[in-house]
Amino acid sequence: MIVIKNLSKSFNEIKAVNDVSFCIKKGEVVALLGPNGAGKTTLMRLLTGYLVPDGGEISVYGIDIAQQRVDALKKIAYVPENAPLYPEMTVFEYLHFAAALRGLTKDDLLINLAEAASQMKLAEVLNQRIETLSKGFRHRTAVAGALIHKPRILILDEPTEGLDPNQKFEMRAFIRRYGEKNIVIVSTHIMEEVENIASRILLMNKGKLISDTTPLSLMNLYPRKDMAEVFRFMTAD
Amino acid sequence: MPIAFKTVFNKEFAGFFRSGNAYIVLGIYALLSFAATFYAGGYFSLDNTSLTSFFLYQPEILIVLLPAITMRSWTDERRQGTLEYLLTQPISYVSAVLAKFGAAWLFGLLMLSVSLPFWLLTSFLTPLDNLNILSSYLVCILIIGTFSALGCTVSAFNSNTVIAYIISIFVLWCLCNLNLDFLITPAENISDDVFVRVIRSLNFNKHYQDFVSGQIGLDNVIYFFSVMIPALWLNVIALEFKKK
Repeated sequence: MIVIKNLSKSFNEIKAVNDVSFCIKKGEVVALLGPNGAGKTTLMRLLTGYLVPDGGEISVYGIDIAQQRVDALKKIAYVPENAPLYPEMTVFEYLHFAAALRGLTKDDLLINLAEAASQMKLAEVLNQRIETLSKGFRHRTAVAGALIHKPRILILDEPTEGLDPNQKFEMRAFIRRYGEKNIVIVSTHIMEEVENIASRILLMNKGKLISDTTPLSLMNLYPRKDMAEVFRFMTAD
Repeated sequence: MPIAFKTVFNKEFAGFFRSGNAYIVLGIYALLSFAATFYAGGYFSLDNTSLTSFFLYQPEILIVLLPAITMRSWTDERRQGTLEYLLTQPISYVSAVLAKFGAAWLFGLLMLSVSLPFWLLTSFLTPLDNLNILSSYLVCILIIGTFSALGCTVSAFNSNTVIAYIISIFVLWCLCNLNLDFLITPAENISDDVFVRVIRSLNFNKHYQDFVSGQIGLDNVIYFFSVMIPALWLNVIALEFKKK
């Protein structure tokens, strides 16, 4: 469970996250929506302890991330935008590194590595250097690295960026499946994706949380042709 | 040893060899040391019972070569975007900093070990003062640690690898040439002995020469750690600063 209370973060004069509060329970796939500069990435960076908030609290399964950053991060996996990886490593070396960083022992390490590689269909590129991979494979490698310790909270920034239609379909199916027993937070601009995977929407604009609801409720509340129109209506200046 | 520390340490150390940088630096170190010993150092004309000609230019060689290893330690993480990945893993900043520093230090020791056959070879040619040589190697080990700590810290404050390399060389050069002896006479006039001793203790060359001449004191060892530890602390601060 993630509990966020009155979270704020400013960069100079700009309030990137402004007094945001919400709670996410196990079994939810939450889509973090908003136009560019809405504060989505900042919110994810606060959630993962990469940034320190100016005010407010973040608690992850009862652990305060400001007080016990390392313990809280054991429950979280985060794939930042553009899926950063170490280009000189092979896929196997990267997954091995990710698993070891998570403290997995030899047996668990290999089992989890094989499982994550198979979930993301990486078997054919395991011994290939990351710098030679296509964008789709790179993205899947980053997600596999995040899954290696079976995190209870998975945070993905633009998870289908650079994937072909088949890969997008598979990634969305995976997110839905994973979200059944865990918490998944996805930041995206693709409305089709939101309708497809999210059980809940957090809509942000100018650092504020302007809506916290389900996709169905949002459509009922603002009857429009599709989710994209609702998004435009709610975030337009 | 914490597993996260070990993991980052292994990744860093292996990374030197993966990128090929390690082989180039090792090769250049061997060449420069050879040139410094036999040409600039006057190997055949000096008394070499303490391998004096070899240790004569070691600080200068290390000033140029160690930043080539440390310059990428944090700048590459930032350039590739992996800094965000690394700092959102369950690893303390202190562990991450120590792991990168430790890997650079170990690589420096590996580099230094290239010279061991030279020690062996010279021992066949002339009787050696091995204790003195050990003392000289010890100071090189401490210099490598100090330079690695400073190099990693400069890298943590920069996002450009080349700039990090240039600044590191400048910082290390300043450290090695810091000589405040001109302050000793005025200090003697206005203050007690303590102030004079502090000024003398900031002289890198004095500590280096003490080791090379085999006159090691605790103050010599403390000097190197008194640079190394604050440098590493600054490195942690540089990472913490990104959270603001």
